[in-house]
Amino acid sequence: MSDILWALFHVCVFPGGLFALGFALFLKGLDRRIVARFQRRVGPPLIQPLLDIAKLLTKETLIPRTACKSMFMMAPVIGMTGMAACAAFIPVPGVFDGMYMMGDLLVLFYLLPVPAIAIMLGGSASSSPFGAIGFSREMLIMLSYELPLLMILLTVAMITGKATGIGTADFSLLNIVQYQIHHGQFGLNPLMIPAFIAYLMFLPGTMGVPPFDIAEAETEILEGPMLEYGGPLLALFQIGTAFKTFVVLSLGVIMFFPGCLGDFWLVNLFWFMAKCLILMFFSISLLRAVTGRLRIDQAMMFYFKIPAVLAFISLVLVMIV
Amino acid sequence: MSLDTLLKKASVRSPWLFRINAGSCNGCDVELATTALIPRYDVERLGCHYTGSPRQADIVLVTGPVTVHMRDYVLRVWNEIPEPKVTVAVGICPISGGVFRDSYSIAGPLSRLVPVDVNVPGCPPRPQAIMEAVVLARSIWLKKLGLEG
Repeated sequence: MSDILWALFHVCVFPGGLFALGFALFLKGLDRRIVARFQRRVGPPLIQPLLDIAKLLTKETLIPRTACKSMFMMAPVIGMTGMAACAAFIPVPGVFDGMYMMGDLLVLFYLLPVPAIAIMLGGSASSSPFGAIGFSREMLIMLSYELPLLMILLTVAMITGKATGIGTADFSLLNIVQYQIHHGQFGLNPLMIPAFIAYLMFLPGTMGVPPFDIAEAETEILEGPMLEYGGPLLALFQIGTAFKTFVVLSLGVIMFFPGCLGDFWLVNLFWFMAKCLILMFFSISLLRAVTGRLRIDQAMMFYFKIPAVLAFISLVLVMIV
Repeated sequence: MSLDTLLKKASVRSPWLFRINAGSCNGCDVELATTALIPRYDVERLGCHYTGSPRQADIVLVTGPVTVHMRDYVLRVWNEIPEPKVTVAVGICPISGGVFRDSYSIAGPLSRLVPVDVNVPGCPPRPQAIMEAVVLARSIWLKKLGLEG
């Protein structure tokens, strides 16, 4: 009984649920502010993402007459719940060990594409031609960043498995974190640096920020799959995106830099949040402020040429050494 | 304060803008799209955000004298914007027709077609005037939600 209650606590309060949502919305507000400062503007207030969600909840819901109504309403719910469940699996080094001890990295890998699939479902159910274009673009970009992501996760699992003596890959996030705390972080290991760079390149693609905001290009295909969404349904999509921000940033931190500062849990928690923030600054905000948008074929070629090759180099190095 | 009031008060701090070009010469559009966003004026600090989709818009900014050809499209897009919405006429053309007022090809002014909440005269209006219009539109929006501005 208490197991179920603890699992509910992890999904709803910490590290998933309220904590993930609050932290991710704060990160997003900070991101908008940082980008504004890069462009020498003042920028919106820090709580702007929260205000946006509050606003969307007060608007009326419009559903196109030609849309597939049930799927149109379901898509944002699928995206949000998928990511909310995902956030509960994230171990926070020095604070929380994660919900399950076996193979949770694999579960994360299977759950990570859920928001992209929700966007595709919503776009195709909206019956808008822009939604259809967005659908195909979202699918292409997803196919191109999944390959490097799989190789990065495999590399991390492999090096942990070899070092802890299992021999094969070890897909337990807790073991990955524990090993790095005792034997040095992967981000500082020369074998793993190509994989880390590949992960930095994966982040903007999966978050759909420039130069990879191809599926939702608002100046080109009018937000694509999001075109027909407004009101509470769009708010659900935004909440799902916020959970996803938390998941991918903290996955990067626990795979490459999970080090702790001392034993006190509050210090470790803030240290973890600071590392997420630094990761976001370099891979999302800085990139978003200085780049334009690529074409879909350029983005695909980029993902197959650079991050895939970097991740493959790491994988081979880890298998040989 | 109830949760409902709190939501409504928070919501007016996040006005998403949508532009309709109803046959404008592009002068007002340039003022809206670029000048109001540059570092000196920065409309984003009011929480504004230009959306590409009318379904996500709260404040609709109409430029141009509404030509006969554009009338149906303007009405169609305007009807796609969810309530509560605030309509702002930017530039002298949608307000009175401007220099085009006696033309055979004009279906405007805008107030003949849809209820206009804020007028921003000028050819083109100054960026400060556009931003003041957005602030005014926020208080009108609050009134539409049933709260005092």
